[in-house]
Amino acid sequence: MRLSQIATGNLRRRKGRAAFLMLGFTMGIGTVVALYTLSTAIKEEIGHQLDQFGANIVIVPRANTLALNYGGISVPGVSFDVGQLKAADVERIKSIPYKNRLSVVAPKLIGVTSVEGRECLLVGVRFPEELSMKKWWNLVGRRPTGIDEVILGYEIASQLGVIDLQGPTMPAMGDDHRAHAATAVSKPGLLRSEIVIAGRKFGIAGILNETGGREDQMIFADLERVQEVMDKPDELSLVEVSALCKDCPIDDIVAQIQEQLPTAKVAALQQAVRARTQTVDRLNRFSVAIAVIVLVIGGLLIMSTLMASVIERTREIGVLRAVGFRKRHIVELLLIEVGLLSVVGGLLGWLAGTGASAIAVRHFTNSVTTVRPSLLLAGGCVAMALLLGMVACIFPARRAAALDPLEALRHI
Amino acid sequence: MPFLVVDSISKIYRPDGPASAVAVLRDVTVCIEEGEFVAVMGPSGSGKTTLLSVMGAMNRPTHGRLTVDGIEVYRLSDERLADFRREYVGFVFQQHHLLPFLTALENVSLPLAVERIGASEARARAKEALRRVQLDDKADRLPDQLSGGEQGRVAIARALVNNPPLLLADEPTGNLDSATGAEVMKLFAELNAQRQSIVMVTHNPENAVSANRIIRLRDGRIE
Ligand SMILES: Nc1ncnc2c1ncn2[C@@H]1O[C@H](COP(=O)(O)OP(=O)(O)OP(=O)(O)O)[C@@H](O)[C@H]1O
Ligand SMILES: [Mg+2]
Repeated sequence: MRLSQIATGNLRRRKGRAAFLMLGFTMGIGTVVALYTLSTAIKEEIGHQLDQFGANIVIVPRANTLALNYGGISVPGVSFDVGQLKAADVERIKSIPYKNRLSVVAPKLIGVTSVEGRECLLVGVRFPEELSMKKWWNLVGRRPTGIDEVILGYEIASQLGVIDLQGPTMPAMGDDHRAHAATAVSKPGLLRSEIVIAGRKFGIAGILNETGGREDQMIFADLERVQEVMDKPDELSLVEVSALCKDCPIDDIVAQIQEQLPTAKVAALQQAVRARTQTVDRLNRFSVAIAVIVLVIGGLLIMSTLMASVIERTREIGVLRAVGFRKRHIVELLLIEVGLLSVVGGLLGWLAGTGASAIAVRHFTNSVTTVRPSLLLAGGCVAMALLLGMVACIFPARRAAALDPLEALRHI
Repeated sequence: MPFLVVDSISKIYRPDGPASAVAVLRDVTVCIEEGEFVAVMGPSGSGKTTLLSVMGAMNRPTHGRLTVDGIEVYRLSDERLADFRREYVGFVFQQHHLLPFLTALENVSLPLAVERIGASEARARAKEALRRVQLDDKADRLPDQLSGGEQGRVAIARALVNNPPLLLADEPTGNLDSATGAEVMKLFAELNAQRQSIVMVTHNPENAVSANRIIRLRDGRIE
């Protein structure tokens, strides 16, 4: 005969109450698990979405005097470079320990060049990277296919007479010109298909619809071709990096890149990072608040059930005290019972919560986020359920310990 | 010195403050020798159960001393009192109070659940106690699979499992018909014949005949 045998015997005898208690644990822990799992999935989703807003790290050469402004970022001028960025640096960035977190690495060379008699900002990019990073770009036309094709910013396109901002420009679209005026250009509206940059002919693949930013005045061409045109082989003005950082080790990523490129200036775009951290923080706080409320309610429920159970068993506890159980033994007995229920309830809660969130995740996120059962989380559930049970036990246990052996002698 | 001394003990209950004080035991003095079989009799409400609970280390008296085997019992702390009960006292309740979800053997083993002894030894001792009440063949029955008399015998076996020097019984036959009551009384007489000290509360004068001595209580006083 062991205390644990008395505990299990009692649980078997009072199946209804034991089931109710276990349900309390299961629902409490299950809700917390579901909240945690779902909010993690949503955080991941938000992270992915925020990552589509472009670069969050910018790398430029250090020690320059003349600066150009590129989309709000200071870019060193072309002629005073000291510690230059090279094409090979892109590979070094991609070799950092956190390389899996780097979603896009987009190198660029920026320079001023003459295009048909005008001074224009020419930006050499790798189109696949650039277009996947600048998800908000509204490209009219098609992606450049060869290295001799360019994309024109909205204003420069109009200055070069590729589109006509003043008048109706869509002959191919036909009839109602005013409806299609100015703000939306379409491929058939292009007035010309080629421009000459520094004496070379380039095909016009597409136009960027107005962004309101510096892009409107830029010409985007293939990086290698621009390096060639500007006679700066291998050289880069800056590298934009878009890092996926669900839990945002952005400072770590910056540090790792800095280590690879000691002569460069590596900076996190704090605003983007802060916006993301804030959103995720709010979500975190919200789910923690709900989890705490659920646990408190669950704990109170468990406590009142235990209290009722102790009162119901007054006589039984009196008998145990009369045959020589110490108060401590009575408390132990209760703790064993609650411990057993909480371990089982915690595991069931883990199962239920994981199952529920696996189903619910499809309604809350639109990506292919999936919920995978985590054994670590299962351990956490058991620990949390035990803690919850022990806390809920405090008052009932005191009450049980205070019961007098004389209870066994009262008639009725 | 006698084995058990109840020395001028009073018990005053104050259920609702000092104004409602009820003296249930008034200056009671009783001595019980080892191996004695004492019956406690008296009208309802005279304090029999209270006296038994004071002897059984379950009820601190308001005044007076209880000495058992040279130990001044109520000087012990609550937890030590529990240990004392386990070691010195076997208690048989009127309603037997078997735990319904435990078998006869498990019920008998209850006092051993908090002892530092191995499972097999505990089992052997519980078996032996059941054998003393001639129920070893029904060890694995649940209480509701036993007759009233058999339940009473299991309760006695539980009281005996620690070989306590003192067996206390509060109307052990109160719930039984006269035939099964006689069966239980026969067991008490046999135990007493093996030098077991017994104090038993009873209403039934027939039961008292096996006792060596009768203590009569009235209004909390010994007559
Ligand atoms: N906890 C208590 N608080 C107040 N009064 C009590 C308490 N316990 C017992 N009493 C009172 O003490 C008196 C004696 O009770 P006790 O149970 O000892 O009587 P008894 O002789 O065993 O009676 P019975 O033959 O009916 O069992 C009764 O009047 C009872 O109401
Ligand atoms: Mg009584």
